[in-house]
Amino acid sequence: MSNTRVSRRQFLNYTLMGVGGFMASGMLMPMIRFAVDPVLEGGAAGDFIPTSQKVSELTEEPVRVDFTYDQVDGWYESEVTGTAWVYKDGDKVIALSPVCKHLGCTVNWAGDSAHPNQFFCPCHAGRYEKNGQNVAGTPPIGPLDEFDVKVEDDLLYLGATKPNTLI
Amino acid sequence: MNWTANDLDLYMQQQEYIDTALIPLVHIGSGGAMKQSASSAEFLLNLCAFIERQFKGRVVLFPPFSYTDGNDKSRLASEWADSVSDMPFKHVFYLTTDPSWSREGIIADAIWIPSIPIESMDKKLKQSVLEDQVRQIIPVLTAKWTTE
Repeated sequence: MSNTRVSRRQFLNYTLMGVGGFMASGMLMPMIRFAVDPVLEGGAAGDFIPTSQKVSELTEEPVRVDFTYDQVDGWYESEVTGTAWVYKDGDKVIALSPVCKHLGCTVNWAGDSAHPNQFFCPCHAGRYEKNGQNVAGTPPIGPLDEFDVKVEDDLLYLGATKPNTLI
Repeated sequence: MNWTANDLDLYMQQQEYIDTALIPLVHIGSGGAMKQSASSAEFLLNLCAFIERQFKGRVVLFPPFSYTDGNDKSRLASEWADSVSDMPFKHVFYLTTDPSWSREGIIADAIWIPSIPIESMDKKLKQSVLEDQVRQIIPVLTAKWTTE
């Protein structure tokens, strides 16, 4: 036992302060949490969708990779199939979005026999170079979008699309 | 483009490029033909959605037009032709799994596709079957685009 004697007044003071402190913090904590919430919220960029494409099987020639994900639109829930054109540039894996920058058709690699090394949009004969650069003089007004790419256990994961970074 | 307000906004701005109407003709069977017609409709609508995705910037996919055995097909066809000709589409494609439209010459250029029962297929197979079908239809569409 310590020799310092605690008076009745001190004891009550400490207890009331302790209890009061708890009550105050109980009120303030949620308020502070709400106030700083936007800062703590993580970005949704961590959403990578797995595909069945093995990275070791990729070559310099773009191949089509399909992936599916669920989409809810109002009450209509559906499974959406997305596509990417994937190829290797050195060691780097590049996945391009197949959505034409003109009006949103789906472009194909080597879809036009006259231009075997370009992406071709069948709607209005838009063309893109292999790196997604739109060919001048065709309708598209910008380069193809690019997917965020992740490789895990030799399997390809695709993330969000971003503006083309290759050009 | 789909038949939605947002897509049609875009259509209004880009009419010179989006010049094709795609109208699925869906037969509604009665009695024992109900299931068969449902299966055909499922296939046709899946196919149309696929074509729409491929040719989003050139094609407006109409809501499916459904008819029953009791409807007078030639009247329906002429009414449709009249209404659609008032719209600013250069090409109108009718897509159907019912052979009677083109066989009986009601809509001579209706594109007939044999129905494939996709309901029992798994997703991968379904997708590749639809892809094969679309690959066969694409030349038909592009031929019409280039000749007319």
